[in-house]
Amino acid sequence: MSNPRAEVRLRLGHLYPDQLNMYGDRGNILTLLRRCEWRGIRLDVVPLDIGDELDGTQLDMLFIGGGQDKEQDEVAQDLRERKGDALRAAVEADMPVLGVCGGYQFLAKYYHPAEGPDLEGAGIFDAWTIHKGKSVARCIGNVAITWGASTLVGFENHGGRTYLGPTMKPLGQVMAGHGNNSEDKGEGCVYRNTYGTYIHGSLLPKNPHLADHLLGLALERTHGADARTLLTSHPLDDTLEWQAHERMLKRLGLTPRAHAFAQAS
Amino acid sequence: MTPSPLTPPASSSAKHRKPHPVATRPGPRTTLAVLVGRATSATVRRLGIGGGTSLPGLIARGIDPKLTTRLSAQLRHGSIVVTGTNGKTTTSGMVGAVLRGAGMRVWQNREGSNLARGIATALLKHAHASGSLRDGGDAAFVFELDEAAFRRVLPELRPKVVLVTNLFRDQLDRYGEVDTVAERWREGLKRVDATTTLIANADDPSVAALADIHPGPVLFYGVNEAPSVVEGDARIQVIDTRTCPRCRGLLSYSVRYYSHVGHWSCTHCGFARPTPTVFASAVTLASLDGAQLTLTRPDGTAQARITLPGLYNVYNAVAAAAVGYVEGTPLSPAVEALARFSPAFGRAERIQARGRTVQILLAKNPTGLNEVLRALGADGRRHHLLMLLNDRAADGEDVSWIWDADFEQVPALAERVSAGGTRAFDMALRLKYAGLTPYAVESDIPKAFERALEATPVGESLYVIPTYTAMLAVRGELSRLGFAPRYWELPQDE
Repeated sequence: MSNPRAEVRLRLGHLYPDQLNMYGDRGNILTLLRRCEWRGIRLDVVPLDIGDELDGTQLDMLFIGGGQDKEQDEVAQDLRERKGDALRAAVEADMPVLGVCGGYQFLAKYYHPAEGPDLEGAGIFDAWTIHKGKSVARCIGNVAITWGASTLVGFENHGGRTYLGPTMKPLGQVMAGHGNNSEDKGEGCVYRNTYGTYIHGSLLPKNPHLADHLLGLALERTHGADARTLLTSHPLDDTLEWQAHERMLKRLGLTPRAHAFAQAS
Repeated sequence: MTPSPLTPPASSSAKHRKPHPVATRPGPRTTLAVLVGRATSATVRRLGIGGGTSLPGLIARGIDPKLTTRLSAQLRHGSIVVTGTNGKTTTSGMVGAVLRGAGMRVWQNREGSNLARGIATALLKHAHASGSLRDGGDAAFVFELDEAAFRRVLPELRPKVVLVTNLFRDQLDRYGEVDTVAERWREGLKRVDATTTLIANADDPSVAALADIHPGPVLFYGVNEAPSVVEGDARIQVIDTRTCPRCRGLLSYSVRYYSHVGHWSCTHCGFARPTPTVFASAVTLASLDGAQLTLTRPDGTAQARITLPGLYNVYNAVAAAAVGYVEGTPLSPAVEALARFSPAFGRAERIQARGRTVQILLAKNPTGLNEVLRALGADGRRHHLLMLLNDRAADGEDVSWIWDADFEQVPALAERVSAGGTRAFDMALRLKYAGLTPYAVESDIPKAFERALEATPVGESLYVIPTYTAMLAVRGELSRLGFAPRYWELPQDE
């Protein structure tokens, strides 16, 4: 590695990689891995399976993906009962956390399924998800939302509609697609450094600014404000990433906006 | 519930099977449906607007909704229905080859016409205006049936045999999750007669478990001995079934061939891979040119060879041999037919173009793509690749699956890779994160093909790995350039 500094290391906890791996979630992990590697940052991915303890002192960021309906209750129980307290403590201590699809729903208060009892979530977000029955169409298709001065693009596929409590902020506003509930134009949710979203596709490869934003938060929190400059001192050639991003915007009839290092404040 | 044991069929049964009692005889409505359907077919063909594989059936079903039942009930050797996520078209082709090899008349539906209307169109082609089948219905009809149409169409066909190959995640936006597909299969199978034989892959847990609900006899097929996934690779396999279909306990494997296919058992309830009656052993996967295996059925054992790459095609061949057994046809012509079997349209098809060999390897989901890549890597050489990713309805509009496929093995087996299709940039990005710089990125498939072909040295092969509609597009371009016949000009049936 050409990095003259001592090796900078981040540890990414990957929650339930065997159960929640449905919609290209591996792409999110790969994106974080490669973008660190290309900058001489070492990223260790730590799988956190059912039964494993979550130790916030041994981790710098967390990822939780989406899964099949059938496998959700064991995961919900483990997240709530075994990992819940440690997860909430990590969130309150500003650890960056990303939840996608099912993972987003798990971070909220509860999931009301089409049939059967409610599934209680980790309660990080004051938000809840309601599945209105199998006769109500799923939210499926390409999606684009605002994110600060920039945009996020991807694909959504969810049966549940998510509603945010009054103090919660969505990740962005829907420009095309459904978002949280196809009613209020909100998509996703942000609380401290915890991000929840329905966007996959995978999410991070075509949204490199979000990937770097999460890495920046982790670098700063673990290694101090200076460490964030590792991102800017090793700028990456993201031409292909933005071509893929902008192609999707154009296809949805939208005009590309500013992107480089744009951040939701 | 225990499936009833399958009694070995008498060899004569293939010739003298009574047709189904025709509860729904053809009448004037059927005649009108057949006439209008056939006229539509002729018009579509004359206008040159495509193969006409679904419109005639759609219209004819509108006139006589029972058309499929009325026509298929006249088949003297019955309907054979092939379904499953991967390998339907190749397996159906192999089944047809095996039965024809034994001297049977076999009719088949065309690739891409595996929904209700396509099935009806295929039957129409073999019907007289009176509503009776040609050749007195003295044929077996091999139907490739889409998972999405299975529940509805299966009871209409009153099949003699239902073959289910495998269940992988595929087009989540279109078919839903794998559990949804398994549920559709169960609902379809519950509605067939107790005379229908289910032929099921013993090595895929969700397929093997279909025997629990099937009312008739069951025959299992599988692979007893073949190269398996090495321990370190298990983590990067896309595993779509982890839990027991009966009790949801965790599955464990003594051998894993790929994804969740192998020798499995439940750690909780003890449900385990059934012992297959028809199976492959001593499998060798030498190269892209084919595989060798020892094929065993209750009526004997033989050395067999196929000209298609990969273990997944070995499974397809064993499944076809199992259908041949249930139909009462002998082993040796089956083995000969499998050795002669040439690839289905767009599946490992080889086409000569300007001194290069173009080989198309359809891959539409993570496991399919992983196995194509594994076959490409088998000879240790570096290849020229063109990856074509479309996101039309028939491909699945959600392309996130490419991130689940193991592109990380591509740098070791590729000399040069180009990307094309409506989502060429997504594909290029996937290649980039696997450590490759794509040679060309072109959304337009003819342009992408042109560049990739020109970049392939004369005398070498270009491997095109497309999704379904991208396969149609590149196949169309090869026809336009005069390198290959148009698909509706390809020989079909006899």
